[in-house]
Amino acid sequence: MADPTTTVDIAAPGVGRGADELLAELGGPSRLWRWIVTPVVLGGICVALYVYVQGQELDRIEVASLNAPMIRQRLIEHLHLTLVSTFFVILIAVPLGIVLTRPWARPVTPLFLGIANIGQAVPSIGVLVLLAVTVGIGFEQAIYALVLYATLPVLRNTMVGLDQVDPSLIEAARGMGLTSRGVLARIELPLAVPVMLAGIRTALVINVGTAALATFIGAGGLGWIINQGNVQNRTPVLLTGSILTAVVALALDWIAGIVEDVLRPKGL
Amino acid sequence: MIDETEATAAVPEQQVMIRLESLTKRYPGQAEPAVDAISMDIPTGEVVVLVGPSGCGKTTTLKMINRIIEPTSGRIILDGDDVTHANADHLRRRIGYVIQQIGLFPHMTIAQNVGLVPGLLGWGRDRVGERVDELLELVGLEPSEYRSRYPKELSGGQRQRVGVARALGGDPPVMLMDEPFGAIDPITRDRLQNEFLRIQADTQKTVVFVTHDIDEAIKMGDRIAILSRQSHIAQYDTPETILTAPADGFVEDFIGSGAALKRLNLTRVRDVELGQWAVAPVDEDRATLRQMLADSNHGSVLLVDDQNRPQRWVTGRDLARASEPVERIGLPATAQVEPHATLRDALDEMVTSTVGCVIVTDSRGAYQGVVDLETVMKAVDEMRTAARTRDRAAAGAGTARVDPDGEAG
Repeated sequence: MADPTTTVDIAAPGVGRGADELLAELGGPSRLWRWIVTPVVLGGICVALYVYVQGQELDRIEVASLNAPMIRQRLIEHLHLTLVSTFFVILIAVPLGIVLTRPWARPVTPLFLGIANIGQAVPSIGVLVLLAVTVGIGFEQAIYALVLYATLPVLRNTMVGLDQVDPSLIEAARGMGLTSRGVLARIELPLAVPVMLAGIRTALVINVGTAALATFIGAGGLGWIINQGNVQNRTPVLLTGSILTAVVALALDWIAGIVEDVLRPKGL
Repeated sequence: MIDETEATAAVPEQQVMIRLESLTKRYPGQAEPAVDAISMDIPTGEVVVLVGPSGCGKTTTLKMINRIIEPTSGRIILDGDDVTHANADHLRRRIGYVIQQIGLFPHMTIAQNVGLVPGLLGWGRDRVGERVDELLELVGLEPSEYRSRYPKELSGGQRQRVGVARALGGDPPVMLMDEPFGAIDPITRDRLQNEFLRIQADTQKTVVFVTHDIDEAIKMGDRIAILSRQSHIAQYDTPETILTAPADGFVEDFIGSGAALKRLNLTRVRDVELGQWAVAPVDEDRATLRQMLADSNHGSVLLVDDQNRPQRWVTGRDLARASEPVERIGLPATAQVEPHATLRDALDEMVTSTVGCVIVTDSRGAYQGVVDLETVMKAVDEMRTAARTRDRAAAGAGTARVDPDGEAG
């Protein structure tokens, strides 16, 4: 959190109390900067890339990859892969994490953590190829691989987030007559939210990176542009694909950061 | 205090709110039970303190009452109902629960914390809001100021007040308190204890209070159960009796030295007859003061201001020094206590006093009288006599159970 004295220093003498309070509400100047700086920088990078590509004499092969409809299509494919896989990761890992932290599920917890660990320990390209060999190629198969790969951080953070809730809070809540489901919904989950969101954010960023490999099993995405640049030995194409992937990763991370800030319970 | 206790003893048909019957907790893999068949009756509207050394099972016993810890065997009867196997969640909404760590929910405002149980009980929004304000006022926190704050914005003492308010949320007949003031600095603890006693005088809850501190037990308890290993009751009686007639060596050891001094905690200044002192307004002339000194058998006169608040002690020698105005001679009138202070507090103050007595003032600081060593000695004597009389009356009935046992069923 921002140091309160900084808040005072930055607020101009003429600025009324209202502005001060608004600033405090938003989490102080440091958070405001975080919210603004990232999109400005990313926008600047995109403009620079555009200017660079426009300045090149593009040959026919390059134009086949670097045209607006193609880039848009690959970008949409990439976002689609990332978001759908992250959605399923959340759908699987959060409930699983909740179940695995219940006292009665403790005996099987190491087993599931082990499986999730394997998912992440195996190189992502290996997971993809393995899936391509066993279940075929395409968008759906890419999603399987991405989900498998990004489940661990969300699962682990859900479990850690729930485990770190002070046991005396749970005892107090039980002692007040909250049902175990009530304790979970009203005490444990809200208090675990910051840690869980951090895990989801990690998964999101991992998925942007891994989705770049999806092109190898025919699922498209920005990885296709990178691969084209690579196999055709065309630097502008390679650069565009790589930079756009990085920008997408940073942009999603930025959005997730804002979501984290907004959803973090007050009073923590 | 003495009078109250005698009154309790004289009303045997008093209801039993909580009855524990052979309540036992055995943990798997442990040879001996943590709590071994404790049976006791807790009378309605009283504060019963479970006190004992660490590991004696007092907290386990407490937590079995609201079944945070499920008993292995035995029965819990709450207000006539056997709740040993009742729905634990519903049971707990009828029982206030305060723990040492307080356990305020950090993501909820003070109002949300306090209003949680009323909400669970299905009270409407308006009624919950009113209840929250009422409770915050009761524990001495201005509702408009604290309602929308978060726990982290409060001091430790304030948090524990909120903890007490929250436990009172659903207006439960029973409160369980597990070392509620254990983690609070001594000065704040003393204030919170006094406030709790004030609240308890208003609300008349049945309170089971766990502590390892015998002084706290003596101060808070209407009755004290001294527990030895596995929650065996060594003695269950009023603080007076425990201090004047400890049941056995264990109780005696646990009370420790200075039982006589501890007994002074049982009597409040308002319960003893106050002595009077020669008192004069600060602007009195010296001749009158000299005359007063000559007439009284004390060595000094107490000067009070126009609102009757004690200002200075003045002796004959001070008066002889003619140069200073009357309001500047003598010594400041320190060593003041209020009527709700215990004789122990009064004695502490007395030691620091220059004239060997403490001034008793009302809440506005106006002079009421004095307490001197003689008054304290007399009170100790009376207590000893009263205990002896009671012992003789109760001869033969020396069980750990409370008298109203038979009548409650």
